[in-house]
Amino acid sequence: MTSSSSASLDTFHNSPPRFVQQISRLSLTGNLQPCVVTLLVLFFCIYAGYRSGDFWSTLNWQLVVQPLAEAGIVSLGMMFVIASGGIDLSAGAIIGVAAVTAGIAAHHKLPVPAIEAAALSAGLLCGAFNGILIGVLRLSSILVTLGSMILYSGIAMALSDGNSFAGFPEGLLWWNDAALLGIPLEFLLFLTTAAVAAAFLRYSVWGHYVLAIGSNRVAARYSGYPVALTLFGVYTLQGLLCGMTGILLVARLASARADMGQGLMLMAIASVVLGGAPIVGGSASVIATVVGVAAFYIVQDGLLLLDVPPFVQHALTSVLLLASVAVGNLLRGNREGRR
Amino acid sequence: MNSSSRLLRVRERFHRHETKLASLLLVLGIAVAVAAPRFFATVNLALLARSMGVLLIVSVGMLNVILAGGIDVSAGAILAVVSVVLVRLGNHGLTASTVLPLGLLTGAALGAVNAALIAELRIPPIVATLGTAGLFRGLLLEWTQGEWESSIPAWLNAVGSPRWGGLDASVLAAGLLMLVAALILHRTQIGRALFRFGDSPLAAMRTGISSRQPIYFAYISLGVLTAIGAVFYAAQLGAVQGNAANGYELTVIAAVVLGGADILGGRGSLLGTFLGVLLLCSLQQALVLLHVAVFWQNIVTGAIVLLGVILSAAPRLHRKFVLQQSSPA
Repeated sequence: MTSSSSASLDTFHNSPPRFVQQISRLSLTGNLQPCVVTLLVLFFCIYAGYRSGDFWSTLNWQLVVQPLAEAGIVSLGMMFVIASGGIDLSAGAIIGVAAVTAGIAAHHKLPVPAIEAAALSAGLLCGAFNGILIGVLRLSSILVTLGSMILYSGIAMALSDGNSFAGFPEGLLWWNDAALLGIPLEFLLFLTTAAVAAAFLRYSVWGHYVLAIGSNRVAARYSGYPVALTLFGVYTLQGLLCGMTGILLVARLASARADMGQGLMLMAIASVVLGGAPIVGGSASVIATVVGVAAFYIVQDGLLLLDVPPFVQHALTSVLLLASVAVGNLLRGNREGRR
Repeated sequence: MNSSSRLLRVRERFHRHETKLASLLLVLGIAVAVAAPRFFATVNLALLARSMGVLLIVSVGMLNVILAGGIDVSAGAILAVVSVVLVRLGNHGLTASTVLPLGLLTGAALGAVNAALIAELRIPPIVATLGTAGLFRGLLLEWTQGEWESSIPAWLNAVGSPRWGGLDASVLAAGLLMLVAALILHRTQIGRALFRFGDSPLAAMRTGISSRQPIYFAYISLGVLTAIGAVFYAAQLGAVQGNAANGYELTVIAAVVLGGADILGGRGSLLGTFLGVLLLCSLQQALVLLHVAVFWQNIVTGAIVLLGVILSAAPRLHRKFVLQQSSPA
């Protein structure tokens, strides 16, 4: 044990270099992992651009940002869910229900706004059902959404009889074709949603409740926060965003199937986690989530252009998830518990 | 012992999750007996037992993981990898005595990868296994190039063929493994450590339980059990491919939590898991016999899972909604 005076002298002489201090400050504010991911993706972009001439073409980026926008919107909803200390395994199934609802509405020759309203309200209802079970009845989110995932995918299958719908009106497909200054409208919609989500998270009392419930639900209840109502809102919002994604998917693919959203649920969870949000909740950042989802789609697209076999692409994106979470954990110094 | 304490004990037993599940099964059984008496024919019961074998074996492994406070969504991918390994090596002419140990080793190794990511790198279980699920599946599909292995070796075929009055080896194996699991969970140190570690890792570590050993034990045991399940899975199907058992892990998790295991760890039982598997499988069998369209089966299954979740929380809900309102605040 050194005395206090020599200890302070020691720190004076061996004060860590400036950039280490900055890194530790970053890691304290929780912004480290998105930075690591951004850096990794930037390096990857430079390499991909060097190896493939098409990577930096406008067309490539226009093609990347559309699926990115769809996954991004679900990820924003998932971010709120995870921030509140929950998880939503039924997101993909809700997208399927919304898409099939849109298909049925289009089949009955309803006007475009009615189709959109039908899909949105189908998503909203599915989300609200989750919200009642999780928020009001206080059931475990992973169990409820596991059950409702099976339930909703069954509903989507039963509604569509396992068929796919086609023949959507031009007005709906407009979502896919429209662009502003060469930027696809879908992507602009995603950015707007992200901005609104950020405002909600940061400036609304609801966002404050969500984070408080995620970091300590019991304390939030004893502080008089409306836990049930807030959680109901979180899952309803997630349902609404899934409905939105369903419409965008239908517009881009010009068809609707019950299993449309299958891969998006895992992608959304992975994106939120890749952005550095703890899976236990209590913390969220819209920018980190956007970075997470963008990283997945940019890397996947780059691997495609680099002629990496499709199944290896799948494996490599999983490695990206594991590696960045592991690196983020190591840099944070293992302070967080498991789970 | 006076009568009131005995009454309390009876009430306590009634509130146990297994009792509720058993009553749910009883109700379902009576309904099925009325609507489709064929369900209780010997042939159909043997078929039911066969359909339960693989799910039960993997569920016992998943129970270990959930008891230890973890979760594994890569179990379906592990099942696919091992079944393809078994069939491919077998078709290359290797004998059963070399292929089977290799298959079990593969399962154990994949489980160890999960455990290492969770125990050493401190990645949350759901994230770690989400990543390895994509990794295992991607590498497997690259290896098989998406092609079917449409024939299986003769010895593997013999494993899956029904005998003993319609039962096959998977039923026997599931029964044996349940016995072994019961012994390990209740009579060995590592088994008790699983419960205590899952209940509170910190408290377990303070009492001298390793912070890594239960994790390794849980995930490797799931890997090995999934590999054993894969033997019967491949044998029963007679053909495998890289996309086999896609989403199987969710059925397994549903069965275990339907059986009353606490997703936060530390609570759960083999009997409950068995009842959960029995409920899911007999429900599916009954729906087929009742000529319910295949699309409706998911709706009923999902509703039953939700019902199970609500049932398991029933005492708490009872306190919240009935007792709170009747007593003055």
